[in-house]
Amino acid sequence: MLLRLGVFGATVVFIAAAADRYALTPGERQLNVNSFEYVWKTVRDKHWDPKLGGLNWQAVHDELLPKVEKAGTMDKAREVMTSMLERLKQTHFNIVAADVYKEVESPGSRDGNPGIDVRVIDSKAVVSSVDPDSPAARRGIKPGWQILRVDSKDVLPGIRKIQGGFAKSTLLDIMLARSITSRLYGKIGKAVTIDLLDEKDQSVGLELDRAKPRGVMAQLGYLPPMYFWVEGRKIKPDVGYVRFDMFFEPETLIKTIEEMVKSCGDCSGFVIDLRGNPGGIGGLAMGVAGWFIDKPDQVLGTMYMRDTNVKFAVNPRIDAFRGPLAILVDGCSGSTSEIFAGGMKDLKRARIFGARTAGAALPSVFEKLPNNDGFQYAIANYVSQGGKPLEGNGVIPDEEVPLTRQALLAGRDPALDTAVTWIEKQKK
Amino acid sequence: MRNIVLCALVVLATGARLAADDLPKAETILDKYIEVTGGKAAYEQNHSEVSTGSMELVGKGIKGTVSSFRQEPDKSYTEIDIQGIGKVREGSDGKVAWSLSAMQGPRVKDGDEKASALQAARFNAELHWRDTYKAETTGIEQVDGKDCYKVQMTPKEGMPMTRFYDKESNLLVKMVMTVKNPMGEIPVESMVSDYRKEGAILMPHKVTQKAAGQEIAITIENVKYNAEIPKDKFDPPEEIKAMLKK
Repeated sequence: MLLRLGVFGATVVFIAAAADRYALTPGERQLNVNSFEYVWKTVRDKHWDPKLGGLNWQAVHDELLPKVEKAGTMDKAREVMTSMLERLKQTHFNIVAADVYKEVESPGSRDGNPGIDVRVIDSKAVVSSVDPDSPAARRGIKPGWQILRVDSKDVLPGIRKIQGGFAKSTLLDIMLARSITSRLYGKIGKAVTIDLLDEKDQSVGLELDRAKPRGVMAQLGYLPPMYFWVEGRKIKPDVGYVRFDMFFEPETLIKTIEEMVKSCGDCSGFVIDLRGNPGGIGGLAMGVAGWFIDKPDQVLGTMYMRDTNVKFAVNPRIDAFRGPLAILVDGCSGSTSEIFAGGMKDLKRARIFGARTAGAALPSVFEKLPNNDGFQYAIANYVSQGGKPLEGNGVIPDEEVPLTRQALLAGRDPALDTAVTWIEKQKK
Repeated sequence: MRNIVLCALVVLATGARLAADDLPKAETILDKYIEVTGGKAAYEQNHSEVSTGSMELVGKGIKGTVSSFRQEPDKSYTEIDIQGIGKVREGSDGKVAWSLSAMQGPRVKDGDEKASALQAARFNAELHWRDTYKAETTGIEQVDGKDCYKVQMTPKEGMPMTRFYDKESNLLVKMVMTVKNPMGEIPVESMVSDYRKEGAILMPHKVTQKAAGQEIAITIENVKYNAEIPKDKFDPPEEIKAMLKK
């Protein structure tokens, strides 16, 4: 049994923002030192590149050990360990605050939100979707509205800072979006104040409740708990459509896809919407692909580990959908989404629409550290079937379709519309 | 100087030959394993086996349950139910070997993978190793600080395997092989331990496997021999049957 876990780390970084600022006991300090050593040794012994790209890992250890020894709070200790991992300049290396795992015992203790998703378009934080029946939906917020301030704090300075820091990175879009959504998230029952511009550019100030996120809480080992949802429907009489927020809950996800594919035998096409999907269980890319590939011996890509290589081989389903397949992605599609979309593109089985993905696709696992924090580390490099690593490159759509505020305000979805137009052309 | 090196090589080679001559034959080790774990007659009393237990991806907090059904001569069905992943099912009816999970979909095994699966499905395979393997003792190596006989098992079909038998107890303690499937050729090291009697047979209750940088511990908690197993337990699932008809 091989599990390949690839939740995009930025999710974790942003939801792990709770502060642990109380002074530590000597015992807790020692646990942090032990955790530091564990993290350092794990990277030394398990990173797929034993040379770590030429990084002097021993020197990093010797430089940072005194800092973690001196760290007087959990926040400081985490900062040191995170800065050690940042030296690798790779995604999927993260420290997850122990607090994050409390969500399991007490759902909503930190993950409540008003039901808004956001994309930063032309330096503006724009509502890209509103969850049905969410506090935001009940207060009339619509896609295309612009967020100016969250809890009286302007969003623009944060956007500018990230634009500077990630100007050349494929991570720019996801970091921008998360800089806003992380401020919208919080404890259920604790309201958030948002200042917006509506469709007429009129200022609207709203106090919104934070509610339980859409979906059901899913957990796998020491991965931080996540909320999972999947929806399947026909968007035209003959086009199947499936969207899900993460590659999680394999049996539920695959069941939905199975039902949609089986109800879509005579459909002229199918759309898998991975926009905003940050990844999840890597191996599930193979399970999903099996519903759309009928040829044997197809491989999405290969993960290269220190001692062995593992191919992401697809097992075709007997009732696989054989018609035109469109996959929608954007800059917030990461990890398993990229493995799936990149592989299907390379196999020429799907046409990709939207925007370049996050380029954050290193297979990783989660462990618990002696201080009870979580530790995510990549165990392999991943190269898509076309021969290119996805890390730092992402998946480039066949048809780039930019999202605009005007389209959202008009109730349109440019990437989906373009995909459906392409499907309809295939019919002719 | 060159002569000294050559002489040293000859001595080393001679030493190796002498050591090989001193080693017990593989068939002696493999037959003795039957003997120390209960004897041929004890094995032959059993015609089916149902085992249940647990599995854990070590250090990752991922846990599950394991159920295994086996029946002579060569039927096998295993179900691993992993929290957050779901069921992973594998089986063989003696002719067809297959696997099915939501994660990876359905698969009918073929080639070396099928051969290995069919060998593994054989009931009381320990008694019948001569039908399948050529075996050779290749040396002595330490496993967990104990001297072990290293036995190379080469099947007529499928992938070879190296087994390590404790020199003192003659119990199997380690297996090394390469698993070949569509995902590639993946080296797997299995540590076998916690021998306890189930009925008249001394059997291991813990297997820890290392593969592709991960470690999986499987613990057997309950074993029933000669339990009644529904006849259709070993039938391939409908999806596999449909693939076979295709």
